[in-house]
Amino acid sequence: MTPPDSAQFPAESSSASQPPSVVTARALSQRVSTADSTLTILSEVELDVKAGEILAITGASGSGKSTLLGLLAGLDQPSSGDIFLLGQNLSELDEDARARLRAGRIGFVFQSFQLLPARSALENILLPLELAGRTDARERAAHWLERVGLTARAAHTPRQLSGGEQQRIAIARAFATDPQILFADEPTGNLDADTGARIIELLFELNASAHTTLILVTHDDALASRCQRRLHLIAGHASEVAVA
Amino acid sequence: MRFMRLGLWLLRRERSSGEWRVLLLALIIGVGSVSTTGFLGDRLKRAMGEQGASFLGADLLVTSSRAIESWPASSTQNIPAKSSPLSTSSLATSQALEFSSMVAKGDAFQLATLRAVDAAYPLRGTVRIAPQPFTESTSRPALPPPGAIYVAPDLLPLLSANVGDSVQIGEASFTIAGVVAEEPGQLGGVFGLAPRVFMRADEVERTHVLQPGSRVTYLYQFAGEPNQLTAFSATLKPTLDSTQRLIGSREGVETLRGAFANADRYIQLTALISLLLSVAAIAIAAHRHALRHYDQAALMRCMGATTAQLRTLYAVQLLTLGVLGSLIGVAIGALMQQALALLILPDAATRLPSLGLAPVGIAVVSGLLALAGASLPALMRLIRVPPLRVLRRDLPPLPLGAWISAAVSGSTLLLLIAWYAGDAKLVGVFVGALAGLVLVLTLLARLALFAGRGVQRLSHGPVRFGLAQLLRHRFDSTLQLGAFTLALFLVALLALVRSDLIAGWQQQLPPEAPNYFLVNIAPYQQAAVADYLSQHQLKASELYPMVRGRLTIKNGVPIASTLPPELRDSNTLRRELNLTWTATLPANNAILAGQWHGTHNAAEISVESGMAERLNLAVGDQLGFQIGDQTLDARITSIRSVKWDSMQPNFFVIFAPGQLDALPAAAIASVYVPPGASGMLPGFVKAFPGVTVLALDKLIANIEAVFAQIIGAIQLLLGFLLAAGMAVVIATLLASLDARQQEAVLLRTLGAQRAYLAKSLWSEFLALGLLAGLLASACAEIAMALISDRLFELPARLHPWLWLALPLAGALLVGMSGWLTTRHITRVPPMQSIRALG
Ligand SMILES: Nc1ncnc2c1ncn2[C@@H]1O[C@H](COP(=O)(O)OP(=O)(O)OP(=O)(O)O)[C@@H](O)[C@H]1O
Ligand SMILES: [Mg+2]
Repeated sequence: MTPPDSAQFPAESSSASQPPSVVTARALSQRVSTADSTLTILSEVELDVKAGEILAITGASGSGKSTLLGLLAGLDQPSSGDIFLLGQNLSELDEDARARLRAGRIGFVFQSFQLLPARSALENILLPLELAGRTDARERAAHWLERVGLTARAAHTPRQLSGGEQQRIAIARAFATDPQILFADEPTGNLDADTGARIIELLFELNASAHTTLILVTHDDALASRCQRRLHLIAGHASEVAVA
Repeated sequence: MRFMRLGLWLLRRERSSGEWRVLLLALIIGVGSVSTTGFLGDRLKRAMGEQGASFLGADLLVTSSRAIESWPASSTQNIPAKSSPLSTSSLATSQALEFSSMVAKGDAFQLATLRAVDAAYPLRGTVRIAPQPFTESTSRPALPPPGAIYVAPDLLPLLSANVGDSVQIGEASFTIAGVVAEEPGQLGGVFGLAPRVFMRADEVERTHVLQPGSRVTYLYQFAGEPNQLTAFSATLKPTLDSTQRLIGSREGVETLRGAFANADRYIQLTALISLLLSVAAIAIAAHRHALRHYDQAALMRCMGATTAQLRTLYAVQLLTLGVLGSLIGVAIGALMQQALALLILPDAATRLPSLGLAPVGIAVVSGLLALAGASLPALMRLIRVPPLRVLRRDLPPLPLGAWISAAVSGSTLLLLIAWYAGDAKLVGVFVGALAGLVLVLTLLARLALFAGRGVQRLSHGPVRFGLAQLLRHRFDSTLQLGAFTLALFLVALLALVRSDLIAGWQQQLPPEAPNYFLVNIAPYQQAAVADYLSQHQLKASELYPMVRGRLTIKNGVPIASTLPPELRDSNTLRRELNLTWTATLPANNAILAGQWHGTHNAAEISVESGMAERLNLAVGDQLGFQIGDQTLDARITSIRSVKWDSMQPNFFVIFAPGQLDALPAAAIASVYVPPGASGMLPGFVKAFPGVTVLALDKLIANIEAVFAQIIGAIQLLLGFLLAAGMAVVIATLLASLDARQQEAVLLRTLGAQRAYLAKSLWSEFLALGLLAGLLASACAEIAMALISDRLFELPARLHPWLWLALPLAGALLVGMSGWLTTRHITRVPPMQSIRALG
């Protein structure tokens, strides 16, 4: 199977007006078999995200949002269907090849922050840079720490930071490698409304300056309405909803 | 490369984490234990190897219990036969006589091992003589000036003598001209029970100590070109009988080294137990480390790290810890082995070669193997963690087949054991014993915990809460209990062996048991000695004439060929046996089979039951003995039991009277000298200069001292075992620390006082330690009863102090480890704990 916008890869060959697709899902289904039945978590999801777009994935709890995000990012394999990430058919890649594809190009922000507890704020930001082998890791980490306004807390461990501060570190970490795509799973889910709003501002602001494609899962209608596109999931069935 | 750096970077930040600390600690303990024994064994082995010819004092040594008059024709001109003086030979030669005798000064007397040498002794190696004990020594021939002797330094205090004093040997008197600081073939004087004396061969006559039948060893030494030596030993060998031995310098060292290597191997295996206990601690710590790092690993995979990269990362971490821990362990081992060496050989620093490098390699590789075996399964799971875990926290890492983990750990550990045990049989025995021990300890621990449930029901408050913890973490508690019981048990067992055997032996002696042996009573003295004893109203045994001979033939064929290969090397066949004859059955003997020969004057013998069993002998068998240069046949007419610890002269083989009379036989007797009457002994020694007087209590004290030294050394090793047991306790506690912390926070928010928490922790650990102590006491008592019964035929007895000391020690050590590991959970304010748990 060829990617739907295969003509547009590599980007140089595409028409100047139309940005290339960075994430594409075709007839994507995810089923898990339990003891006595098969549970369909995602059913025939179709999706195409262009570079620079901001997509919100919404839906009730248990509708399959996280599952879809994980599949799109190549963290898991679908039961059927195809996913193209940065022009690569993920079904042709094994676990390690998918990891290599992610390295330095994909960023993540999670609901539960997922900071390394034993490491300082600065070191948490350093980690993906070190993994990607950046020679300017230190400077970049310091730079991103400043961008999220936590330079003064560089040496503090996550334990010593508030939830909002932790998430800002997580965002700095996600942006530090200049990823092409940033996946965020309910980045404000663990935060109060005010803090959540500020986090979202930060996310959008950084996205605007770094031209990152942003795919975020959220419960928050207000947040979803600020995104360019919105994919709504109902019990595993996806439909694109027009954004007001 | 990048991932190696990253691994180190991540490791550096976590160096203070509990798991790494425990892992490192356990590794240090384990490696410290094996390297201590490794270093020492290596030094002793090299000491033997480096000495080579100087170990024998010659290139070739012939020992014989009688003088060799005729040497092979091809080389007679080279031989120090009595008829031919030392000639201008192509082989250098020297001859010496070795025998035991009393050395007396005033009223003090002491048994010594005399070596009467000529001017050429030793042909190889050096004898060093010092003017005073522990002063600068010079290398010089062992031959003292006429009328003088050189003595081992330990003889001086025994006789309250100084260099320059005059002492009596037999009927002659000698001046002590110096002390022996070093001589060939000796690593240290500790293991010799009778101190060494060098005298001139031409002055032996003057002492009148040697009489027909006296026990003497003739030492003939040769040195020269290798091809001449080979030719000489080839012609000489066929002329030697079974009581004479030809030892090449290589062979001499080899036999000794073989015996030593065996002992060394067992000690190394003891050390290995500590390493294996450490493995348990490491495995637990590694498991917890993996548990706590699944998120980190998943995150890194999410950020694009491949499995290969993660493998590199964690391998570097592990290797770094492994090398670090092993090197620290080796350093500790190097210090400990010096302590051990000094315990065994007080002058080890000068006697032993310096530390070798080989044990460092062995210890480091052992450490890495143990670390790998213990932690690979956990790390393999860590590497295979699914990246999706970042979204679904509950997602467990891919299960690594239990069989794969078991295979990885099992094969690494087996490799380690095989390496230390050397041969397949020992591996089997060791693994079997270990498995059995683990099984028994697990069962006992489970049983004890079950009993603990009853106690818990009766208790209340924090104690009840603490005990509940112990019972809840059943797997952990079993492991902790098992590990600590094992450590305490082995330590206690050694202590018991040391004190019990000797004490038990002395305790059960009848009050007037003989306390002196009179040995080497020459035929012409025997009547006089018997008179002397009855005159002084001393209770003495019969005087048993004694000849030395070797059992060679059974029913017409060489006896070795009738035995399975592993029994052919039995001591009973190799050594010369003490043979006696008497018409009356000795007091402590009982006939088990056949009929006592009594006065029946025929070629009949009675054989001790143990020997009969070992060599498969029965009444009616015809045995052939080699006695001196003649052979003698006799038929077994009875099998006797012998009470070996009766302090009476005991014999494996007793002939009917009339068979051995023609042979020169010195007699042996035992005698009870009441404490008040020991003043007569110097008189006895003077009256019968050739007779050796052995003070049994002194002999026992000597044996005990040697025993204590060896066991003390091993006990030092068992210190590692205790430390490893503590590491296991700490590792298991760490593994449950998160859950405990959560509970503590909950309790504190519910209003529990800090003291309540502390009390509940203490009661948990004290209970654990007490239980381990009790179990260890029980195990030690049972093992000790078996050992005394089976090995030493002593009645088993209970050791009440053990039941007090072990539980106390257990409570103290476990309490300490537990408190150190968990104390902070009572201190942290609840709010901070809640945040920490996030
Ligand atoms: N491996 C699995 N095995 C069984 N059930 C699964 C598995 N993965 C997902 N599910 C189920 O699929 C459904 C969708 O899960 P998912 O985490 O994608 O929901 P979600 O939309 O992210 O919900 P929330 O808003 O609560 O995070 C849930 O009911 C979940 O229990
Ligand atoms: Mg979700």
